[in-house]
Amino acid sequence: MNEITRQEATRQPQVQESEGSRDERDRALQPPVDIFEEGNALHLLADLPGVTPESLSIEVDNNLLSLEGEIRLEMPEGMSAIYAEVRAQRFARRFTLSHEIDSDAIEARIENGVLHLQLPKKPSHQRRRIEVRAA
Amino acid sequence: MFGDLRRYDTGSPWGVDWFREWLDEILPEPGATDIRAVPRGTYPMINIGRTDDAVRVYVFAAGLTAGDLELSLQDNVLTVRGERQVVPDEPEGDERRPYFRRERAGGSFARSIALPEGLDADRAEARWRNGVFEITLPKREELKPRRIEIQSA
Repeated sequence: MNEITRQEATRQPQVQESEGSRDERDRALQPPVDIFEEGNALHLLADLPGVTPESLSIEVDNNLLSLEGEIRLEMPEGMSAIYAEVRAQRFARRFTLSHEIDSDAIEARIENGVLHLQLPKKPSHQRRRIEVRAA
Repeated sequence: MFGDLRRYDTGSPWGVDWFREWLDEILPEPGATDIRAVPRGTYPMINIGRTDDAVRVYVFAAGLTAGDLELSLQDNVLTVRGERQVVPDEPEGDERRPYFRRERAGGSFARSIALPEGLDADRAEARWRNGVFEITLPKREELKPRRIEIQSA
């Protein structure tokens, strides 16, 4: 019995390779995000559980911001899934940035699976207080 | 690895479910669309895997640290409970910050999930890394797969 289950377990990845492996690999989860404005910058928080700083890639191409992170779990060999809500190996999401964001000054850090992106506005678009002087 | 599971769900071993296939075709959904699918925004999401000697539960709880999640096991039902604050406190004295998107779930949560029978709760271990909690529940000795030797008569 043990041998039979083992064989099946090793056969599955091959099946996956031959048929529809592209679909399996391309499927990505869309992470939930919060976006808010504070202190002349936009802040983006994204839930990316299982993503490490090494497996996370953030790219800005023109005005397109792409977040992509691979879920890295330590799984023992020969494990079979019996229940799964997270059914992809990676997270991916794209955002269009407005022209007022200074894309060179974007800062990112990831802690406990939460990505915090700081997107500062260009100095010319920052909020200025205009003093009203008595005439 | 958990991505494989979808294949078992969509295949219909009890005959071709042509209507469902046809529906899936004309209304493709980005997410999984079966009885196990959870509503978008469910927090935390849970995966369960099994090896020969243990069951492993993965709780995808981004933003929580070791002390924020309470795990309990009773009669093969695992309950995860906790609370999370989604965004840092607003700076004092400042006006309310404008939000453009609020999708992340916050506040307190509790989820219960049934596990296979025969797990040894006393030897359970939990680890936590990058927002994922991994709970290892060893199977009791008598439930591990066993090889039976055939002897010649």
